Formats: sequence, C-alpha cells, structure tokens
Amino acid sequence: MTDIAIAARPRRARVIINKKIAPYIFLLPFLLLFAIFLIVPLAYALNLSVYRSALVGGLRFVWFDNYKRAFTDANFWSGVWTLFKFGILQIPVMLILSLIFALILDSGVAYARAFFRISFFIPYAVPAVIATLLWGYMYGPAYGPFAQLAGVLHLAKPDFFNDSSIIPAIANIATWEYMGYNMIIYFAALQAIPMDLEEASVMDGASAFTFAFRIKLPMIVPTIIVTIIFSIIGSLQLFTEPYLLINLARNTINSHFTPNLYAYTLAFIGQQYNYAAAISFVLGGVVAIVSYVFMLAANRRVSE
Amino acid sequence: MAVIQLKDVKKSFGSVDVIGNVNLEIGDGEFVIFVGPSGSGKSTLLRLVAGLEDTTGGQIIIDGTDVTNMGPAERELSMVFQSYALYPTKTVRQNMSFGLEVARLPRPEIDRRVNDVAQILRLSDYMDRKPRALSGGQRQRVAIGRAIVREPVAFLFDEPLSNLDAALRVEMRIEIAKLHQRLGATMIYVTHDQVEAMTLADKIVVLDHGAIQQVGSPMELYERPANLFVAQFIGSPKMNVFPVQPVAGGLSVADGAGTIQLAAVPAGVVQAGARPEEITLLPAGQGHLPGKIEVVERLGSDTYAYVAADKVGALTVRIVGNAADMAVGQTVGLVFNPARLHLFDGNDKVVRA
Amino acid sequence: MTIVGKTNQSARFRRSRWLMTLLLGLYFVYTFVPIWYVITSSTKTNPDLFTSFGLWFASDFHLWQNLYDLFTIQHGIFRIWLWNTFYYSLVSGLGAAVFATMAGYAFAKYEFFGKKFVFALVLGAVMIPQTALVIPIFLLLSKVGLLNTPFAVILPQLVFPFGVFLMRAYIDEAISDEIIDAGRVDGAGEFHIFSNLGFRLLMPGITTVFILAFVASWNNYFLPLVVLNSTEHFPVTVGLAQWYASAVSGSGGALLFTVVMAGALVSILPVIIAFLIMQRFWQGGLSAGGVKA
Repeated sequence: MTDIAIAARPRRARVIINKKIAPYIFLLPFLLLFAIFLIVPLAYALNLSVYRSALVGGLRFVWFDNYKRAFTDANFWSGVWTLFKFGILQIPVMLILSLIFALILDSGVAYARAFFRISFFIPYAVPAVIATLLWGYMYGPAYGPFAQLAGVLHLAKPDFFNDSSIIPAIANIATWEYMGYNMIIYFAALQAIPMDLEEASVMDGASAFTFAFRIKLPMIVPTIIVTIIFSIIGSLQLFTEPYLLINLARNTINSHFTPNLYAYTLAFIGQQYNYAAAISFVLGGVVAIVSYVFMLAANRRVSE
Repeated sequence: MAVIQLKDVKKSFGSVDVIGNVNLEIGDGEFVIFVGPSGSGKSTLLRLVAGLEDTTGGQIIIDGTDVTNMGPAERELSMVFQSYALYPTKTVRQNMSFGLEVARLPRPEIDRRVNDVAQILRLSDYMDRKPRALSGGQRQRVAIGRAIVREPVAFLFDEPLSNLDAALRVEMRIEIAKLHQRLGATMIYVTHDQVEAMTLADKIVVLDHGAIQQVGSPMELYERPANLFVAQFIGSPKMNVFPVQPVAGGLSVADGAGTIQLAAVPAGVVQAGARPEEITLLPAGQGHLPGKIEVVERLGSDTYAYVAADKVGALTVRIVGNAADMAVGQTVGLVFNPARLHLFDGNDKVVRA
Repeated sequence: MTIVGKTNQSARFRRSRWLMTLLLGLYFVYTFVPIWYVITSSTKTNPDLFTSFGLWFASDFHLWQNLYDLFTIQHGIFRIWLWNTFYYSLVSGLGAAVFATMAGYAFAKYEFFGKKFVFALVLGAVMIPQTALVIPIFLLLSKVGLLNTPFAVILPQLVFPFGVFLMRAYIDEAISDEIIDAGRVDGAGEFHIFSNLGFRLLMPGITTVFILAFVASWNNYFLPLVVLNSTEHFPVTVGLAQWYASAVSGSGGALLFTVVMAGALVSILPVIIAFLIMQRFWQGGLSAGGVKA
C-alpha cells in the first residue's frame, strides 16, 4: 500500500477523475456496438426507404412514396391481418396456460415439481428452426404420427395446412416453443412473494386456490404485462415458422404471409431493397404503436 | 377457565429439539407474553398455537377442543405478523374484509364489522388506500384491524412492534394495551423486548432454548425470579450478580472483603444478585464493600454509576434523580439490602431460606 | 413446501395433489412429444420413417448409420456447422454478457450526464423487433464488405439491450453502494473495484445474461440466413433448414430425411444437457429481471 501521508493529495485527485469518467468508459463498448448495429442500420434503412431505384432513372429521392405504397399495399396489410389473427389466438392461449401451470407449480401442491420445472423449459433451448421442422414432420399428411393415428382410428386425416388450420398450426408451434419460458418467468415472480403473506391468508381461512387467484395473481400483474408486451413484439415478427413451412403448405403460405416474410421476399428475391426497408419501418411502427397502446391501457388499469 | 392449553407440547426440526415439553394454561381474557432471546423458541411456540407449524408431540386445546391436528383457519385464531403481511394489491378495506369474505359472511355483516373496527383503530380516513400509501404505524393498525374483524377466540401477535422506530413503538404499545382493555380478548404476544413484556402482560412466559423458565405476572418475575436466567433477563439495567460464600450469620463477598448480614442463609448459595436500585452508595469506608466509580451516566431522571469493586467486578448502581456530586474516580462504599438480595445455587436456581 | 401442504393431510387433498400432478404430466407429454419424435425418428431407416408409427421405434435400429451419414455427408459439412454454431454462440454470449454487465454497472452505480435519456434509448431498443433490424444490418454490412464472414453474425449479436436491463436490476440489488465506497476509500480505481469486488458478486447475473445470449445466438436463424451465403459459414439452424427444404421439395434424394432428423437430434441434445447442468445458476438471475419488471 502506498504511503498515505505522501500520496494523499494526488490519490484523491485521481479518484475524482476516475469516478467522473468511469461510467462513460463502462458504457463505451456497449454503446459503440449499439450505435453501429442498431442506430446506424436504422438510419441507413431510413435513408434507403426514401429512395427508389428503377431501371429507368436509377436511384431517386422519392420522399415518402415507398411508405405511401406500403400503406396501400394489400399484401402488406393481409400479412398484418394474419398476424392479428395469429396473435389474438396464440398470445392469450399461451400466456393463460403458462400462468395456470406456473400457479400449479408454485402452489407446491403437485409432486415432482423440480422435474417439471426443468423439463418445461427445454423447448426454449430448441431452436425455432428445429421446432418448426419437427412439428412440420409431425403434421405431415401422409406419414406424420397424427395422420397415422387418425388412420388407425378410422378418423379423417387432419389437414394442418389448409387456410383455416394453418394459423392454429403455426400458433401451436410458437406456443410449444415459448410456453415454458413464460411459465418460468411467472413462476419466479410468484416465488418472490413473501411467505408471511401466505401465512396471513391461511390465518384468514383462505384455501390455496383462493390465495393464488385473489392475492398472488394481482401481485404479479406487472410481470404479466411485460410478458404480454414481449409476446406481442415477438408474434408481430413471425418469420421462421411460416418460412420453413412454405414447402409443405404451398397453397396457404405465400410470400407475403407475414410482413417480415414479405420484406424478406422483397429484399432478397425481388431485390427491392428500398421498398423492403420501408416495409420494415412500417412494421416497426406498427409494433411500436401496438406495444405502446397496450402499455398505456395496462398502466391505466393497474393504477386504478 | 382456561381458553388455551398446551400439554407436553414438543417440536423438533429433524434431530433438533426446538421446543421441549411445554405445559401452559392461558386463561380467558389474559394478555400472555412469550419473551426470550433469539432462538428461545418463542415464535415457534406461537406458530404451534396458530397451527402454522405441526407439533412433534403433545396436544393443543382451544376452548375445550383438541385442535392439535387442525389447520389454522379452523382454530378460530387471528395473527398479527411482524411484517404486517398486508395484501399489497388490496385497499385497507379489502384487506380487512378478506377473511370474512372467505368465510362467506353476508356483505352487510362484513361492512358493519370492518367499519366498527376501523373506527376503533382510527383508520376510517384511510379505508381506500393501499398499504404502500400508509405509514408503518398505520399499516400495523390495519394488520391489527384485520385480526379483530374475525372475532377470534384469541389474538396472536408475532413481534408486532419490532419494525417500528422507538417513539412509534411506545405509542403503539399503549394502543395495544388500551385495545386489550377495550376488547377483553385473550392475547398471546411474542417479543424479545422485556420492556414490552413488563408493561403489557398479565402473565409472562419466559423462554430459553425451547424450555419455559418461569411463568408469572410481571411483578412476580421481577421480584421473585425463579432462576438466574429470568433474574437477568427481566429488568434493565441487568441485575448485578456476584459470587458469595455462606459464613456464619450471612454471606461473605469478595473473598471476605465484606460481609452481608442475613437472618437465615439457605444451603448451597454460591451467587447473589442485587438489582441496581437495591444498591446504595455511601462515602468511602462505609458499607459492605469498597468500590471505585468508573463511569457515570446521567439521564436527568436517573443516574447510573458503574462501580468497580475488587474481586467482584463492575456493579451497576442506580440513583434516582441527578446525583450531581458523583464523580468518576471517586471511592465509595457499596451497601446491599439483605431483604432484596436474590440468592442462587450452583444450578443457577433461586434458593430461599 | 406451502403451508397448505404441511397441515392438510386429508384424502381429498391428496387426490387433488394427484390431479395437479396429472395436469403437469399432460403438459410434460406435450412438451416432450416432438423431442421423443426426433429421438425415435433418428433411429430409423428412411423407408421406415414413412412406414412405421411416428412415435415408436421401427424394427431396424439405424441410429449409428444415420449419425455416420450426418457427419460425413457433403464432406462432413454438418461438423463445420456445429462448430460454427458453437463458436458464434460462445463469442456472442461472452461478449454480450461482458458488455451488458459493464453497461448495466454504469447505469446502476453512477450518475452522469444523459443517463436517463440513454437508458430510455436502450429500453426502447428492447422493443424494436429484432427482425426489423436484420435487413438494414444486411444492407450496412454489405456496404462495408463484411457480409458472409463470422463477424457478420457475431457483431450484431453482441448488442443485447435486454441484458443491460437485466444487469442493471441485478446490480442494484446485489452490490451495495457501501462496498464501492469502501473500495474508493481504500484507494482503489473504479475499474479495479468493478473487476475485483463486483465480479464475484455479479457472477449469477452474468451467468444468466450469458446463457440467454448464448441460447439466443444458438437459436438465431433470420440473421445468419440473411448475412451468410457460403455453406461453410452456416450455423446449424441455417444449414439444417436448407437440408430440410431440399428434403421436402424432393430433390437431393430421400436419404436426407433421416439425416435431417439425426441432425435435429444432435443440434438440440447438447444445449438441453448443458441446460440441465446449469439450470441452478441462472434461475435466480431470471427472477431479478422478471420480478422487477
């Protein structure tokens, strides 16, 4: 250790400088990457989206023409409508089931809880590609196990790929992937509730169900709201599952099935980068608006 | 008529015996306090009565019914928790109504009870607030209110004042005392603070290491402690305890430096105890034992002198009022009051002639 | 164990315990069916895949052959994909965790100009659909000529705003201001305090962020799909998806079905096993973020 008497003055000065600069240094790597891979791409894409390149005339600045086109593009809005149908089905089903199972796990009523807790999380570790692949096979009309079972039981072979069943089929895959993740989040929030609240409710004569639904559930409402928002953001970006199932469902999944799929097709198959950029931004805007509206509505309810 | 009886109650966690063979009777309307240091088992004993823990052995009888195998709700008891345990998402009114709603009482009855209790506890202005918008004292009153509306056979309090600051603690102590007078209900109260125990209790149960040391009224415990533990636990500052030898006519202190005359000396005495207010200071040369004042503490209402006596150690002496002429370093003579001396044998038990 | 369980031993209660366990069991079956399917399918020969019952084994146990095919087909490209995935995920995971931790530390323990604004920016970034960024990132990387390199996949994945959010919440709880002040009084520099005092306390949180970032990278499909075009840079997700597409469309031959299945099995088993081993560490960290939210 340095001699305190001698070094007191300069040492103090060094600490003051350090303390002021330190946060910026800690932030630097992250912010640098953040700027490069978030801000700059967004800015660049924004820039792209206000141009158009054509065979005749080359690259032209077109103000918001691309956006105008996006707003009137039936393909884009049909994709949004698909997402809406998807989200309104998948999100409530998945989150309600996750909640119920989290409550069951947390109540300590069932046996083998540790085993279940771990196993429920496994799908999260499975890449979406593989999950889609597996369910795609299982949905198979000729050789998937569901079709085989139906054959054995002399029932009609289930068709997972027609217009009315494709959305539930994809919703099932998404639910399978993320239900465990949401359940663990709810479970952690429920576990954080102090024991003496449960004891107080027991003294009040409440059963485990009453305590779970009337006390615990209201307490984790903020957590539930967060999972809803993240689920909304996630489902609005649907791409992998429909993209991989295209070959199995050629008649139902088209290149504009979801907005992301549309943007991808536009960019990499149509080479229309400018318009694709605009579509991405409009999608981002839709996500932002939906999330924000939901947050506002949720906060108003919570504070009542 | 005993409302709550504990018979041979035992509690072990695995191989560790936390409560061993407790026998206790609590009368109707009594304010009983379980007091003891940390780990004495007082909270565990309360939770056994509440039904939040199962007994390993013994019986618990409430109002004539053996409740040993019953859950907490069926025992018709209410509990006030140290952390209040108020439901954070519910208003004060909803917190207080919850237990009654679970019991499916009719709405008018629930409202009547809640409003009455709110008035007693001066909560009527806060009924629609949530716990996070209340002060510590207010939250505590809500916790108490929640317990009262259920009209239980007995109230259980688990160190309810521990989370309050000193001034609030005094205020709430008085409120609880008044509440007991008003309701006349049986109350079991757990605390580690002997001041709370002395001021609130009809009957104190002193616990140490899972065993009852003594049961009695505050004054009984203060004036006639049954053993060394109780003698030193009750009363602040602690009782002074020092070794003595029985001699003809009394007790010899400090290897013969002084002798205290006693009419009768019981057999087996090895230690004597004198409370700070039972020791008088005289000018040097007088009294049973010489000593030198090391520290003087003046509180205005009292003065405490810490006096060092050879071969005895430090003794705490209390003088009422401000002893202005007392000074550090002064030599004094210590006088013990033989009538107020507590005598202990080799097993730390009190012996009387 | 909850109070209810402790004090209620009635037969009716025990029945409801079994009922609840049954419900959880049903969910477990749902969770496990696809995994079981890939296990049984990997053991079959290609014809058997189409003739035998999907959820049980066939008479021929063909697993080793399938695995052999998996690792040797197309000059053993699958091995390369597996390595790529591991490499990308490890580097991204570590980098993301370290940078997010440093940033979270800055937000949690310091006051500085623009702190609120920058944090709001980071928080807003969590809301940005990842995929909305992929095409712009592609365009950017194409401009600087970094396309089709490991950097194209790793660099964007180093940005993990959710990790910053998590670490800030975690550091707020886990490191008291007093520890830092004590270090300062002792004359330690800020970075010294962070790396020595802070690091040990931060381990559970960093592990959580690392695992989340690692898994996110392992599972990532859209980004590598877009920024890579030579197969030797592909991670398993992109490679396997390509095989799957070709198997379904019928070109490339029927052999690919069994290989795809074996590939799927090999892709998920390591992560699942690593998961099982590490699960005790990260669950605590998740609660810090989940509850705070």
